[in-house]
Amino acid sequence: MSQAEIQTRKGASLRGTLSGQSLGLILGILPLVSFMGVFFFWPLWSVLWSSFQDNVGAFTLANFQVALGEPYKTAFSNSISLGLISAISSAIPGAVIAYVIESRGGERLRQFVASISGVLSTTGGVPLAFMFIAAYGAEGSATAVLRAFGINIYAGTFTLYSLAGVIFVYSYFMIPTMVIVFSPAVHGIRKEWQEAAKNLGATTAQFWRRVGIPLLFPSFISSLLLLFAAAFSAYATARAMTSGSVALVPLMIGNLVDGNVINDQMNLGKALAMGMVLVSLVAMIPYLLIQRRASRWQ
Amino acid sequence: MRAKRIVALAVAAVSVISMSVAVAAPSNAATNFCTVTDLKTAGGMDALVAAAKKEGTLNVITLPRDWANYGEAMDLFTKAFGIKIVDDNPDGSSAYELQTIATAPAAKQPDVVDIGVSALNTVTGAGRPSIFAPYKVATWNHIPNVWKDPAGAWYGDYSGIIALSYDSSVSPAPTKISDLTNPAYKGMVALGGDPTAAQMSFLSVFAAAIAKGGSVTNIQPGLDFFKTLKSNGNFVAVNGNGENYAAGAYKISLSWNFNAPGAIATAKAAGKTLKFVIPTDAVLQGTPYIQAINKKAPHCAAARLWEEFLYSENKGITSAKVTAADKKLSGSKLFAKIEGGQNIFVSGGATPINAPAMIKAKSIINGPEGLNIPKGAKIVQPNPDQQDAAKKLVIAQWPTL
Repeated sequence: MSQAEIQTRKGASLRGTLSGQSLGLILGILPLVSFMGVFFFWPLWSVLWSSFQDNVGAFTLANFQVALGEPYKTAFSNSISLGLISAISSAIPGAVIAYVIESRGGERLRQFVASISGVLSTTGGVPLAFMFIAAYGAEGSATAVLRAFGINIYAGTFTLYSLAGVIFVYSYFMIPTMVIVFSPAVHGIRKEWQEAAKNLGATTAQFWRRVGIPLLFPSFISSLLLLFAAAFSAYATARAMTSGSVALVPLMIGNLVDGNVINDQMNLGKALAMGMVLVSLVAMIPYLLIQRRASRWQ
Repeated sequence: MRAKRIVALAVAAVSVISMSVAVAAPSNAATNFCTVTDLKTAGGMDALVAAAKKEGTLNVITLPRDWANYGEAMDLFTKAFGIKIVDDNPDGSSAYELQTIATAPAAKQPDVVDIGVSALNTVTGAGRPSIFAPYKVATWNHIPNVWKDPAGAWYGDYSGIIALSYDSSVSPAPTKISDLTNPAYKGMVALGGDPTAAQMSFLSVFAAAIAKGGSVTNIQPGLDFFKTLKSNGNFVAVNGNGENYAAGAYKISLSWNFNAPGAIATAKAAGKTLKFVIPTDAVLQGTPYIQAINKKAPHCAAARLWEEFLYSENKGITSAKVTAADKKLSGSKLFAKIEGGQNIFVSGGATPINAPAMIKAKSIINGPEGLNIPKGAKIVQPNPDQQDAAKKLVIAQWPTL
């Protein structure tokens, strides 16, 4: 075997391993990339593309002009409030539950809460709405039980079929979702840190203010963002409970693309969808800022 | 013995040959049922039935069984002709039907559609390619001219009247829409859906407008009426469907009269008694629902037979009465023996498009009890342009009512 031959062989084998590695890498991420392509980028592109078209395929900005006017303006403000209020009102109790279970609960209780949260967090859509209608409607079973105890939830102006009612119903799956996504963060706070702080003379309040909360804050914000996205974009439950009497963007998009009353405005629906994408992107900004700070500090 | 057998064999052979001749002759290779535009070019009813039977399947789309008695229509068609009906997404919308035509693979294409007038505009407007195959049914001349395309691309089929539906426990029983402000009905009144999404709910608001002094060009009194119902607590925004009614979420609603037989039966199964009445202060007739044959229909003959069946004015037998002997009749004799779609709609409480001609010819049957139009009542029917103008107001005001 000549020197040259050996070198070529070496080179070949070296190249072989390299291309083998990159081939493996490509094959490894191919499922993810194609999944994202088919179910995320392609639909996003097609919505974006047709939001700038009129009904016969010519370029127009009219869809966005209409989307910025009424009743869509009110719908955006309602949807953003719904997202924020239900995210905050579910994130706080969810975080407290996660902390109590993780720090005080035994292994069995932790497992029990984890599995029950898993079930509740996936309840949604029309069945969820119907559960609440059957329980807390005017003739619902829970309404009847409360009435037997002298509490009439319908004595005042409360109605399940309003923005307040929708927020109430969403908490059913959002609090358990918070428990699931926030528990790992709480779990990450080690007892040793608390003990170390104590040894250095810190009070419990000082530990939380200086160590605990700053540590948990990025996770809390990202969980909050997840809840916001869920409430902001939920469709079927709200639709079953409001008959369109509360302006919400997902319901309006549904009416535009699949309604029997409004026709020929499918691309306006797509412009509204781009508006929702934009709101979601803006909501990401505080999260990214906090993450950047947190990573520098960590 | 042997001789007898030979004779029997010969007879059998002859009858097989003659049968195959009888089948082969009409479905002559020259007939392309996808381009056939009426019964005559199809080679007559015998040929159409034979070809449809050979296809064996009919794809329909978004036909709920308890909507305008479609369940009976589908049962009778399947039982009489032995053609299987595949109903895609029974609770879907007109928009879904048109989307399916635009995007579904060939075998999943619907053969026929049943769409609202406003959806029709999106496929027949200027610059849109035609997606329907023209066909004129045998009773074509009975369809009023305003409700059909002169070339036969689409044709109105049946319509409904907005009725009041209420639980038997409601006291006093409502007889007119303006009764609904009665404080006794607190938390009881619902609509069958979102008026900015469901045609029935939109026309319910229109009916309220008529009841409160509005007109086909003025829906505002209807919106004001619902605003009053909302502020006095009578209106609940729950979706007025069968499940929510059974759960006691509402007790009074407005709905098409042709949903009455199905809704009453569903309520009965849930242990409730649901009643229907045509309000005395507004008789609002909807625009007819539109039939059309898909240009990409996978079962061209079955699609055309279905349309002939839906527009047939026969008084004939219902699905329960079709016998094995009936199925052996020739196509034209069988078709003449079974009840026609126009009368099936009547049994479901709907108004068939051919009603005027049928009343004249006395070929119309009696509809269900309790859905009679009050004597001397003026029937109001907003046309599509008037509806479009009214929709703009509803879309702008309903979400923030």
